[in-house]
Amino acid sequence: MAQRRLMMTTALGAPLLARAAVAQPTPAAAAPATAPGFYRFKLGQFTVTTIYDGFRIMPVQGLVQNAPLEEVQAVLAESFLGPTDYRNIYAVTIVDTGRDLVVFDTGNGPQAPGATLGRLLATMPAAGLDPARVSTVVISHFHGDHINGLITAEGGAAFPNAEVVVPAREWAWWTEAGNETRSPPRQRPNFANTARRFAPYAGKIRQLNDGAEAVPGIRMHAAEGHSPGHTIWHIADGAAELVYLADITHRPELIARRPDYETLFDFDGAAGAATRRRVLDRMAADRVRVTGFHFPFPAIGFILREAQGFRFVPADWG
Amino acid sequence: MTIARRIALAAPAVIIAAGGLPAMAQAPAAAPLGQAPGFYRFKVGAWTITTVHDGFFRRPLEGFVRNAPIAEVQGILAENFMATDSLSVPFTITFAQKDATLVVFDAGNGVTPAAATNGKMIANMAAAGIDPARVTHVIQSHFHGDHINGLLNAANAAAFPNAEVIVPAAEWAWWTEAANESRSPEGQRPQFANVPRRFAPYQGKIRQVAAGVEVLPGITSIAAYGHTPGHTLYRIADGNAQMIFVADITNRPEFMMRRPEWQIVFDFDGDMAAATRRRVLDMLATDRIRVTGYHFPFPANGYVARHVSGGVQGFIFVPGDWSSAV
Repeated sequence: MAQRRLMMTTALGAPLLARAAVAQPTPAAAAPATAPGFYRFKLGQFTVTTIYDGFRIMPVQGLVQNAPLEEVQAVLAESFLGPTDYRNIYAVTIVDTGRDLVVFDTGNGPQAPGATLGRLLATMPAAGLDPARVSTVVISHFHGDHINGLITAEGGAAFPNAEVVVPAREWAWWTEAGNETRSPPRQRPNFANTARRFAPYAGKIRQLNDGAEAVPGIRMHAAEGHSPGHTIWHIADGAAELVYLADITHRPELIARRPDYETLFDFDGAAGAATRRRVLDRMAADRVRVTGFHFPFPAIGFILREAQGFRFVPADWG
Repeated sequence: MTIARRIALAAPAVIIAAGGLPAMAQAPAAAPLGQAPGFYRFKVGAWTITTVHDGFFRRPLEGFVRNAPIAEVQGILAENFMATDSLSVPFTITFAQKDATLVVFDAGNGVTPAAATNGKMIANMAAAGIDPARVTHVIQSHFHGDHINGLLNAANAAAFPNAEVIVPAAEWAWWTEAANESRSPEGQRPQFANVPRRFAPYQGKIRQVAAGVEVLPGITSIAAYGHTPGHTLYRIADGNAQMIFVADITNRPEFMMRRPEWQIVFDFDGDMAAATRRRVLDMLATDRIRVTGYHFPFPANGYVARHVSGGVQGFIFVPGDWSSAV
């Protein structure tokens, strides 16, 4: 309890050496700090943890490329999300299979002090998870918010003992300089960023093809469009199954409900939309549990068909 | 990310290590992997709102909804990816703190046997840094056991020793008049013995309040009778910022908002409860007001939107966006 109270106190931005405060009588007012951003559930014998890597506020304007702003704002309002500021959220899925400790995508990585994102490494210990124990890092695709967390602030490997498993087609695209001019301008920084983020893992990178297993129980499926080699991952222990949907949608309150929307993050928006419809349709039909990188935290739930698309239904907290 | 915050987040596993991360190599190899503590914080103006999970109770689905076939209830539950063989009813307590005022809305299930799935509030309060001795006011929505049992601690003394207890006058009047016992539904009669027992340590510190009054600066009572004779909601406001603690206006919103006319086994007057529910949900959907609810899915804060399903014009609960920023 003393530790935890200290946590609350320091998170307030109280002086670093706030330790002395613990010994004092309880402060008069409750400390306005949040609970640590993790959530845990069992999947058969596997243990799944989702970790909140934080959020970034960006404009709603310009987010959706193929629908009028007012229409986008109306869809957001139905989920009580604001018309101007879009809260981009990031959630990392971690699976302990007993044999392997697998992290799915790495979040935003090192940030300037005070940033609201890049919290994965700091939050893992609160969840009882040690980055040095991670045996496998699975990367769904190579956009910065998914790979920047491969490295520490010092530039070393954030997961020093991990093998990194990547989709072969994603690797092929972003490691071939000749593809740069064939990529949308907004995506071109990924070429330099890919080289930089994977550098500390040289010799420990394994490319995977569609349908192959990363480790026993965890299988890759191509879901291309959002990026050239974007993938989703089927995680199963016996009959218990979960699908990590990565960026099959951005926030589902918007993009699951209007699956034909294409966002500024898409490499090939039309292909992304077609893939999205196919995948969400399958998730709804199978009623399978899903996690998603941009899903509202704790980012676990189900996909339900509705009139114009799909709805993300959060799983019960327990 | 500030150093302070990084340490803060590392603290539960690593105690204190300047810089935080290097110490992780020495962390125990296999820390017990428990659930995150069950609390959540957000601001309403100058109020700091904390919702605290009190666990859940799993009960048979059979007989829970009194005026709909069980198959229909199961259909709605399935639509929400919930179990259809039993019903898990969660409990979440709302706290509101501003300056020296620390209010708890309802008292939770209190002390339960170690194996019980409910009664987690005490541990989760501690995780949230809330000391029961610092609670200045307990404000009751109504007197069902899951809302008042936590007034007592393990020694049967006051769990909130320094608190005034604010109760709806209509609720107090009903359950403290023995003659009402025979006029109450059979399932509700144990309240008559339970009420004096739970309130006993607070003698002289109980304040009855009418509906529609400011019970504390910024906190206003709203009559919502039916679920019990004096069931009451509370509006928490600071300037233009406001929210409403809607107590038991619904049980689990996944089915009771979609079908507001359904009546449940705990309703004192099911018809009145349903009429009240529709009126209140309609107001919440129109005003787009943030709410917390006692039996809402944790962290039990969000909004009410109109929604048609199966040809019925009802409502859905839209969870508020989880954020690491209070």
